Amino acid sequence: MRIVVIGHGMVGSRFAADLAREDPSAEITVLGHEDHDPYNRVQLSSVVAGKADATSLALEQADSPQVRVLRGVRAVAIDRERREVVDARGDRHPYDRLVLATGSAARIPDIPGVRIDPDPAHDGLISGVSPLKDLDDARRIIDAAGPGRRAVVLGAGVLGLEVATGLAARGMRVTLVHHRERLMERQLDPDASDITRGALERLGIVVATGVDATGITARDSRLTGVRLSDGSMHPAELMVLCTGTVPAVALAAAAGLDCEHGIVVGEDQATPKDPAIFAIGDCAQPPEGASGLVAQGWDQARRLVQAWSPALATGAAPVPAGPRGGDLVRVKAVGLALVTMGRIDRAGPSGHAPRSVRLSDPAGGRFTEVVVQDGRLVAATVIGDDEAAASLSAAFTRATPVPRDPVHLLARPLAVQGAAGTARPVTEMDDEEIVCQCNGVSKGAICQAVHAGSTNAGAVSKATRAGTGCGTCRLQIEELCTATKAAAAAGAAPDGPSREAAPVQPPPAMAAARAATAPEPADAPEPADAPSTRGGGGSSVPVSTSSATAVPEPELV
Amino acid sequence: MPSPSTSSLPGTPTHCPYCALQCAQTLTPRDTAAGADSARAGQDGQPPLVVEGRDFPTNRGGLCRKGWTSAEVLTAPDRLLMPQLRTPDGGFREAGWDEALDLVAAGIRTAQQRDGADAVAVFGGGGLTNEKAYALGKFTRVVLGSRLIDYNGRFCMSAAATASNRSLGLDRGLGFPLADLGGADAVLLLGSNVAATMPPFVQHLEGVRSRGGLMVLDPRDSATAKLTADGAGLHLSPVPGTDLVVLLALIHVVLAEGLLDADYVAERTTGLPELRTATAAWWPERAEAVCGIGAERIRETARRLAQASPSRGGRGAYILTGRGVEQSTQGTATVTAAIDLALLLGLIGREGSGYGPITGQGNGQGGREHGLKADQLPGYRLISDPAARAHVASVWGVDPDSLPGPGVPAVQLLDMLGRPGGPSTLLVAGANVVVSAPNAGAVRERLASLDLLVVLDTVPSETALCADVILPVVQWAEEEGTMTNLEGRVIRRRQARPAPGQARSELWILRELAARLGDASGFPTDPAAVFDELARASAGGRADYSGISHARLDAEGSIQWPCPGPEHPGTPRVFLDGFPTPDGRARLIPVEHRAPDDDVREQAPLHLITGRLLEQYQSGAQTRRVPSLLAARPGSFVEMHPLLADRLGVEDGEVVLLRTRRGETRAPARISEDIRPDTVFMPFHYAGEGSANLLTNDATDPLSGMPEFKMTAVEVLPVRSLERSPA
Repeated sequence: MRIVVIGHGMVGSRFAADLAREDPSAEITVLGHEDHDPYNRVQLSSVVAGKADATSLALEQADSPQVRVLRGVRAVAIDRERREVVDARGDRHPYDRLVLATGSAARIPDIPGVRIDPDPAHDGLISGVSPLKDLDDARRIIDAAGPGRRAVVLGAGVLGLEVATGLAARGMRVTLVHHRERLMERQLDPDASDITRGALERLGIVVATGVDATGITARDSRLTGVRLSDGSMHPAELMVLCTGTVPAVALAAAAGLDCEHGIVVGEDQATPKDPAIFAIGDCAQPPEGASGLVAQGWDQARRLVQAWSPALATGAAPVPAGPRGGDLVRVKAVGLALVTMGRIDRAGPSGHAPRSVRLSDPAGGRFTEVVVQDGRLVAATVIGDDEAAASLSAAFTRATPVPRDPVHLLARPLAVQGAAGTARPVTEMDDEEIVCQCNGVSKGAICQAVHAGSTNAGAVSKATRAGTGCGTCRLQIEELCTATKAAAAAGAAPDGPSREAAPVQPPPAMAAARAATAPEPADAPEPADAPSTRGGGGSSVPVSTSSATAVPEPELV
Repeated sequence: MPSPSTSSLPGTPTHCPYCALQCAQTLTPRDTAAGADSARAGQDGQPPLVVEGRDFPTNRGGLCRKGWTSAEVLTAPDRLLMPQLRTPDGGFREAGWDEALDLVAAGIRTAQQRDGADAVAVFGGGGLTNEKAYALGKFTRVVLGSRLIDYNGRFCMSAAATASNRSLGLDRGLGFPLADLGGADAVLLLGSNVAATMPPFVQHLEGVRSRGGLMVLDPRDSATAKLTADGAGLHLSPVPGTDLVVLLALIHVVLAEGLLDADYVAERTTGLPELRTATAAWWPERAEAVCGIGAERIRETARRLAQASPSRGGRGAYILTGRGVEQSTQGTATVTAAIDLALLLGLIGREGSGYGPITGQGNGQGGREHGLKADQLPGYRLISDPAARAHVASVWGVDPDSLPGPGVPAVQLLDMLGRPGGPSTLLVAGANVVVSAPNAGAVRERLASLDLLVVLDTVPSETALCADVILPVVQWAEEEGTMTNLEGRVIRRRQARPAPGQARSELWILRELAARLGDASGFPTDPAAVFDELARASAGGRADYSGISHARLDAEGSIQWPCPGPEHPGTPRVFLDGFPTPDGRARLIPVEHRAPDDDVREQAPLHLITGRLLEQYQSGAQTRRVPSLLAARPGSFVEMHPLLADRLGVEDGEVVLLRTRRGETRAPARISEDIRPDTVFMPFHYAGEGSANLLTNDATDPLSGMPEFKMTAVEVLPVRSLERSPA
């Protein structure tokens, strides 16, 4: 089977490598118009932020004689009748199946003076203005960046926030300009947007919303300032355009395939007009809509490989989507944790109304909203809490069951709390509590040994074996020796009435057995430090609880 | 045969029978010790030996409860004292040794005459001494001529061994003395709960804790994870089955932020470009949504490791792996990633830094070096290597061509039993597979389908009770020999009391069987003589013991291999001068994350993980016979978070049903905040109802044969609600 892939970016290169691994009979030709190896575009904002080295971006590619990669070769036409792709040199590449992975281009807004050449077909921009779509862009931006310099970031979507915080981390004075009132309006509601805005302002970023860039000033063909629609002028040596992307559909459209925003494909990634042509990644428009996230493109690649591979093929039906997460949006911003996931309009199979609870803490720069339906997390927004962001992301992508009362999801309970507070002083422990875990020796048994004449930790260890395992309790034993002797000298018993009740030398196992059978508090922890949980939320949230009181869901078992 | 030391010294210096830390003990007969320790002696039901901790580089005098009470197993009420033969009514009767051995030999002959040499298989254990492991391997290859031998160490160290050999050219467990950990600025413990499994180990973490550098990766807030509290370090709690993602993200950060030791990587490794591209796709924010650990926490972990590394002026850093990350269908890949990370930071082959797996079983290290593994000959030689075959055959005095080829790994071996073309007779020594193997219900069925099952054991373990013939063997305090601990340190096990009843050493049993099946001349029963032969067989191999002898160990205490000559001092630290690969460099090997074999799904939405308790050991055959340990941990349980219990409507102590693709079982819930709410934990020490391995997955790692004990998709239901509903 001859397979031609157009595009050697993040999705195209992975598809070719995976297909070669799974299907030894596939002969794969990849046309990539760029000269270099595929690299990780998602990390470009981290390169701009100084968090990632540009040399760490190269991605894995096919290492197989089955795969022929033609670098710097641009496809110019698809001859559907003859099933051939024509490249810029005039060479023809016959295919049995064609995969379009042409990606997307940065959308360049129409701002007077930004383009060197007014012809929109050319992408030459005035010095100091750049999108962030490839490595050259990243290098240009870094060259223009520097402490004390001024930058305007146009567009407060995910990329805009990442670039703005990244440039701020490099010491630049940053103005973030957004044409809507709400930041990341596709993901955030007004409250979440306000808290995000506050967090950005705390990082020293000036946020201007509801305005657009209407013009620029330049000197010697270099940017010197940006004019906004409210008439204000912002001196700037750098303007980064984070104003969205445009799927690269020209090739498909010219070949007569249906294109709307992207290349229209079905659940099987095939174009409806031509079952031999498929589209994956940013250029595709699948039934559920394109997210612009690489996770979606990689999942499409995986499913296509699985559907085609003789070993993995499950039949005619399209391979189901992998773990959820295609619409998980994680802002990689320095100093700002922000993640959103899911859609609250996705009704569960049972038809139970989703429940939504939120924690909103503007002064603390925190916001968490979760939406739970049928015992699963279906949507969430987290701002300002790294660990909650991580644990909710995992629960969302893996669809693991969540607590009966969604309010528990607000206080990071899904990961083990770990490394929490300081342990209680040993002198305050009950007699039955185990001090030496390794040997199961209780506080009472240690105190008994001290009373019986073991006056230091060494002697107590010899008598009871406490402290002879990992040794971490030796300080506690020393403390007990001191306290017990002091109390005895003062005529008081620090370990209370059970001293008399305790056997002369309680076997360690008895104490451990008692401890093991003692009931542990089964109550779920309340989010004691949650400043407020208020009901409601956006108009799209059908149900919400108005307090932390549990409202039981129907039993699932 | 009492050892010389028991007659001349008040106490016998030896080592604990249990885990790979092999804590040093002194055993004193109770009557001798009575004067010294009247408080604990002189009461009825007390064990015959008094156990004391002994100062040694590993345990520094410390012992855990298992070690302190180890002598109680010697006089377990059901200790096997005579051979036992299955009776037609399904019970057992006592028999003399001749009758039992004749029956076993006849069974072996019949099976092999009918179906060939591979009709008989052998399953060994990582608790056997080096001498017994060696003799069992030799017996299988020379007397039985069967290729089918493997051991329960496959469940323990196979992934780490495969990865270490592939990346570094050698697997010695810890390639440095344990005490070296004390000087480090950072220790990353991956999937190991040493505070519960080998408590005296924790002494060596004191230094790194005082410097805030202990980092523990564990889905549970285990006793070890709690050691990171109060500024002592970091606890990372991943979604089960995603450890590799954490490591790939750590590597990503090291490369993205330029934290690597560039000089070391250039001089001592190969493969950086491939590793770079393979990890480029695992930026922390992507990893976060898979593993549940925050991107910043991942970065902080990578930075702390880097700051501790010698190239940045740190005191040193260690990366250690345990079964938590290794017992996976991608176990070799996970250890490979841990090694990659250590190599990037320039840790391996440098004094004060390193990578190492923490061996589990007492002689898990020596067992895998001297012939219990399906594909290996003594000295860590490959059975498929003609030169290795020629050398070992010359020591054994046989034709190299008479040696069988490689066998199959443990899970595959157990699955072949009693099937057409598979072995019809099995000898088990030092393993309790119906409790300890994955998908244990299926293993029990396989054992039942055998024509002849022979089990060598000290007590009637659950596997022994499946046997046709049970042969009683000696325990640790009743024999001489050597063990190799987790740091490749060869140590002496010494006899402190005579064997009870008619219990015999495996060395004697193998000689008797060899005599009945042909020639006993290659099977001495003196452990020192067996060791000398082992040393010769290992000469020139990766695990070279040729300079070691019982006499030398008695004089010097212990020796870390390789030790290629009688004058050689042993090798406390390996890789200092290079890696034993063809070009002397270590390999950076790119690896890929695939999901667990049996990942969570709608019908089984929770992660089941398994592990150990402080008070129990392995299948519990020994520790469940110690009254104080059994009282402390009387039975199986299911640890779950209060939020999960609330969701299921389960109270503490209430019995729940657990169901996986392999089977189902019941156990009481134990509610604890020390576990993720999407995960339940079961200890694997118990048999029967509540036995964790009835549930675990027997899918294996394609490279090492390691089964996926540590992550199974499970459904948990309250039994109460099942009984309420008629369905």
